[in-house]
Amino acid sequence: MVLAFFRRGSTEGNSLDHVVAKALTMLGDARHSFDLATMALLTDTDAETVAANIRETDGRINEAEQELRSELIVHVSVQGSADIGSVLGMTLLLKKIERIGDQAKNILDLAENGVSLADVDNVSELLEEQQTVSSLFSEAADLLGDPDADDESVDEYTRRALGIADAHQAHITGFMTSERPGREVVPLAIYYRYLRRIVANLVGIVRTSSEPLPHIDYLDDGATDTDD
Amino acid sequence: MRVFRVGSTGAAGSLANVHQRLESLLSWGPLRSAIVVGLIYFFLVGVSSLEAGVKIMGEDTQKALFSAVSNPIAGLSIGILGTVLVQSSSASTSVIVGLVASGALGVDAAVPMVMGANIGTTVTNTLVSLGHMRQSSEFRRAFAAATVHDFFNLMAVALLFPLEVAFGLISRTAEAISGQLVGTAGNEWKSPVKAWVKEPVSWLRDIWSAFGTEGTAQGILMVLTGLVIVLVALAFITKNMRALVADRVERSINSFLSKGGGMIALLLGLVITVAVQSSSITTSILIPLAGAGVLSLRNAYPVTLGANVGTTITALLAALAASSPESLTVALAHTTFNIAGIVILYGLPFTRYLPVHGAEWLAGIAVQRRSMAVVYVFGAFVVVPLIGVVLFR
Repeated sequence: MVLAFFRRGSTEGNSLDHVVAKALTMLGDARHSFDLATMALLTDTDAETVAANIRETDGRINEAEQELRSELIVHVSVQGSADIGSVLGMTLLLKKIERIGDQAKNILDLAENGVSLADVDNVSELLEEQQTVSSLFSEAADLLGDPDADDESVDEYTRRALGIADAHQAHITGFMTSERPGREVVPLAIYYRYLRRIVANLVGIVRTSSEPLPHIDYLDDGATDTDD
Repeated sequence: MRVFRVGSTGAAGSLANVHQRLESLLSWGPLRSAIVVGLIYFFLVGVSSLEAGVKIMGEDTQKALFSAVSNPIAGLSIGILGTVLVQSSSASTSVIVGLVASGALGVDAAVPMVMGANIGTTVTNTLVSLGHMRQSSEFRRAFAAATVHDFFNLMAVALLFPLEVAFGLISRTAEAISGQLVGTAGNEWKSPVKAWVKEPVSWLRDIWSAFGTEGTAQGILMVLTGLVIVLVALAFITKNMRALVADRVERSINSFLSKGGGMIALLLGLVITVAVQSSSITTSILIPLAGAGVLSLRNAYPVTLGANVGTTITALLAALAASSPESLTVALAHTTFNIAGIVILYGLPFTRYLPVHGAEWLAGIAVQRRSMAVVYVFGAFVVVPLIGVVLFR
């Protein structure tokens, strides 16, 4: 560690780049957890076989979050307050990724409690929605990691993702007045609620890097809460 | 990395733009390095000017000025007060080295002052820790991390000061090392650096002569000029070195946080302090980390010890511009004192964590009654040393 002082940095750029790079790894891990958890719920995949993997991945995400938080405090202590906006933004970003990891675990909890949506009538629609959300992870990673990503791309992603989240909310609202038995609609409503929150967190992740700090998690210049 | 925006941008002032452009220009490493080299040269000119100024003053004035510090307790107290005033032991010890080089101050009188400088320098991070006062648990951690440095230095002085007064333990050790390096006391040491700074110092003297000054008045002006140069140069050296090595410091602290403390932490404190030329910078970086709970007190503690040793490099540098072996002896005494303190207090398992316990105890009191923290800072760094000066000069 003393030798670390004498080593040249791996990158010549801002030392916060390292935090972003690790945040992207965390996001990849969160997607991995999400894919496994949803497969356990929507297909015949045995929940027990993926549980250990998901919990280990979640542990890795949590550990990375704590490590990066420390690095951000070190950054401010050493470099002064010039990057304070970025540091606060990154703290929110890390928390959002960590939440997605938890929400993936919550989906696994459904499967572990005996819920299976593999045999519902519209399972193909559910799998399609799962794929759509899964692809939002990689798009978010691309936008976050791209130093040249423009505001239009972020806005387009936000519009599309919030459209998906609205569709999830419409499902939840529909279940509230549904005539179907509770044992069918309650797990579905809970599942859609998790999907909606994951999508909202992905929007937050993308917008954290471009929105002015006071408006992060709010749309329309701070007027609308994204409800993540 | 995408730009993380702080907020909507307002109209930036032109002054801010100029500052931004200047910072951007300085971010080119080689230019900043060249500036630091130039500043070190100015710093050495300042030390030499100080030495020359005291020499010009004449023996009677020198005696009148420095007789107060002939008592070791008064010297210790002046060392504390002087360092609290300039918030830098690097600056105060460099001035002491300059005064010793002039012959106005003896090694015996200078060593207690250097010990006092060691105590005085800890006031900076203790003041920084007061900024965490609003939140109890954060303040407890930050204040303990700051005062562990105070406790270590106070304990080191409590142990080594009597030994120095009675047997000259530190000064004799330093004298022996200095004798091996540049020869014995009383001889003129032909420092190559001294020759490099000779010309600018004579220009300074010519400038003051042109204003019609001579004798003691000119000596005082030379001393004041030297002091200003030393303080300004050191402030800018620290600022630029901090900017130059900030990424390295950040990387090494991150590496240290994930792997632990002990001797490695001590070495890290030493390396960072040598690089930024200020123990206050190193120890002040630790305070927010400790306050936030990122760094434990036991891990912060050895870093401060390394900083204690690292900060002695500045006085050693100052001794290069001086012409007497005694000045090098005093600079080495600063290093010897700090190393001896570490060997005795940190090296022995049963004394190792005494400063930590002391700091935890004091932090507990300060959290119960915040005013006690202010009373402690004012009392330890101003009132007690003032009493020491008044009673023992």
